Parts: sequence; structure tokens; C-alpha cells
Amino acid sequence: MLIETIKVIIKMGKIVAVHSYKGGTGKTSLSVNLAATLAKRGKKVCLFDLDFRAPSLFVVLKSENSECWLNDYLNGHCSIEKVLINLSDRIHGNDNFYAALANPATEAIRDMSAKDRKWEMRALGKLLSLRNSLLRDQKFDYLIFDTSPGLQYSSINAIVTADLVVVATTSDRSDVNGTSRMLKELYSLFEKKTGLVLNKVLDTALLSNKAEMKARVKNIYQVPMLGLVPCFCEVLRAEGSLIFAQEKPNHPFTKILNDIAKKIDTNDVS
Amino acid sequence: MNNYQYVVRLNKPSMFSSTKVHIKNTRGTPLTREEIFNKKPLHVLEKIRENLERLNEKMEIMIEIQKHGHNELQPLSDAPLDVMTLLSMPDHLRKTAMTICRCGRATAEEVSQQTSRARAVESAYLNQLVIMGYLKKERQGRKAYFYADRDNQGDH
Repeated sequence: MLIETIKVIIKMGKIVAVHSYKGGTGKTSLSVNLAATLAKRGKKVCLFDLDFRAPSLFVVLKSENSECWLNDYLNGHCSIEKVLINLSDRIHGNDNFYAALANPATEAIRDMSAKDRKWEMRALGKLLSLRNSLLRDQKFDYLIFDTSPGLQYSSINAIVTADLVVVATTSDRSDVNGTSRMLKELYSLFEKKTGLVLNKVLDTALLSNKAEMKARVKNIYQVPMLGLVPCFCEVLRAEGSLIFAQEKPNHPFTKILNDIAKKIDTNDVS
Repeated sequence: MNNYQYVVRLNKPSMFSSTKVHIKNTRGTPLTREEIFNKKPLHVLEKIRENLERLNEKMEIMIEIQKHGHNELQPLSDAPLDVMTLLSMPDHLRKTAMTICRCGRATAEEVSQQTSRARAVESAYLNQLVIMGYLKKERQGRKAYFYADRDNQGDH
């Protein structure tokens, strides 16, 4: 019985939260492309927009009309199945790419900003129950949470729920300082497995010596580095309007995302 | 068997080595050796074990209260078990509370398997969280289940 339970736990999929200290670090871009890359690797993936204060996935995924939003699920007004949108056709996948979107209406953003602690506690319960409803019952391999930056309730709920947290950071001094404090004072308290993605790197000298960079990141942040992403003008030029890893399969950005996805998939986060 | 209500009482609570257990019937008189062994002995033993476990839990709670004092363990009716509460908890309690959050509902034994700490330790922490008002406890037969009552907690 115990062995069977352990087998089920080992086989079960993972929840990955993508978080950052500051805004504009590329969380959404990383989340979308990581989800698409994992789906292209044959995994059943669902991408969640947990940034209720500034929903943006609906633009990238070009899906502005939804019968039910993630807000409705967390409010207890509908089941998670009604929120899921099948976007498998976007990545030519075989029924394996889904999204759960946050309501972009101003009224919904205002409503989500005014929630109290009791509601947030229930929302945590709802997020935790996705482990049974989606990972166990519907056999999803990955749930990717795109979160709000900083220490927002919704982000911390996502971090607590996740098996792995991918922290997106830049070389900006205030970001380095804030991220480092956040890792020490928040993540370590929850004992979360964490990997760091250094995004929008401009310094070419850093890019040429990845081993040194890896050691430096480990020294500053005390967490392993998952990836080093240079600042690609093509990614910025896309203006968040396409799934880059899908549209440009041979671009270096896509290759880096592939490496990150492989590390996550093979549990090589150390 | 329904005629009997078994009561387990510690004669000398301060000295565990000399603890004596009395089993009484509903009339309040101790059961004779014949009564215990002629009636269903396994059932009697089960009852003894159940009562000893409850007693153990009560003692663990008393120890925790003695250690931390009453004030620290006062139930906070308006403080639900949300992430900010988890953050403000001492490390040892956070680990236990997080495990219950993940499992939904679990016994001290199940929590101890996840945290790799002793069952008795988890039992003490879980009961402490119950006293603080963050968790609820429910008995099903011999087992005590702990859970965060997300639907009703904090609605006072």
C-alpha cells in the first residue's frame, strides 16, 4: 500500500511557480515559453496567470474571451475544468497545452486587490487542490504559475503550492539586492526548491564564462542557476505577442529555454 | 460489552515508571481479572490503548502549555491559517502546518512521515496548532485527524 502511494507520488506531475522580486524581469515571457517548450517535449502542461493585478497572458495567448476565469475558480463560482482553455493547436501539440487565465477587466482587478486574509486562505486551499484535480486525476505533467512580482498574497500562495520556484532576475542592483533578500527571508522559510534564471544579461563577458557566472550566482543568491538568458532584441521586438519558442525554434533563446525545461524535467536543479 | 465504560487513570502521573492502569465498569468498580479475560480481551486491550493514546495527547498539550505559557497559545479567532500566518510562525510549527496544508487532512503519524520527525513531536505540534486555533482535530475510531478548516475558519 505504502509502495503504491510512493509510486503515485513519484509519477505525479509538478507545479512550477515563476516569480521575481521586481516587475519587468521577464516572468511572463519565461512562463509562456517554458510551458510551450515542455508541451513540445510531449508533456501535458497548463499555464496559469496568477498575476491578478496585471493580467497579461490573455494577450500573449490571444484569448480574451473566457467563459470562466481563474478568478471565478478561486472565488468558488466554478470548477477548474471550466477555466481551462485548450490551446494545443498553438503549438501543434497533441491535446497537451492548456491555460487558465486571470480576468483582465478593471472591476475584476479591483475585486482581487480587495480580498481579505480569509479569502486568501481559501485561495491557497484551492491552489493546493489542483494537485489532486489536475496532476493526479487529469494527469497533467506540469502546472506553470506565472505570478505577480514581490511579496503579494497571490504570489506567496503560488510559492507555497509549488514544488519548484523559478526566480527570474536581472543584473539591476536593486533587483539583485531584493531578490537576494527575498530568497533568504521568504523562500528559505518555506524550504522551497528554487532555481534562478538570470535574464536580460547585457554583459557579453559574463556570457562567455558561464561556469564562473554559475559560481557567482550561487555565491550571491545561495541557490542554483537554471539558466542565463542574454538580452535578445528579437524577443523584445516580439513585444510579448507570440510564443517565441514555438515561432522561432532555432533561435538561441528557444535553445536556452529548452535547456531549462530539460533541467526541470530531469530534476537537475542543483 | 456495552455495559462497560472503560476508564484509564494514571495513579502517579509524575512517575511514569510506576504508572498503574485501572479499568472500571460503568458502576465505577474495577473489573476483576475474570471479567477482563472472559469478556472480549482484544476489545479491552484496544480500549486501553485508545485511552492511553488520548491521555498521551493530553499530556503533550499540557507540556506545550507549560513550555510556552498560556498567552502564547491563546486561540486567535480572527487569524486564519494563511501564508502570512505561516510566515510569522516559529520554524518548528511552520513545518508541521505546511505539511497539513499540503496533505489537507492527516494524522500525526502521516505528518511525521513527511517531516521525518518523531510522531510524538508532531502530535505535540499539531495539538499546539489546534490550541492556537489554526487547525481542527477530529477523531475517527482510534485515529485523530488534523486539518485546516478553510470553509469555516476565521468566520467568527
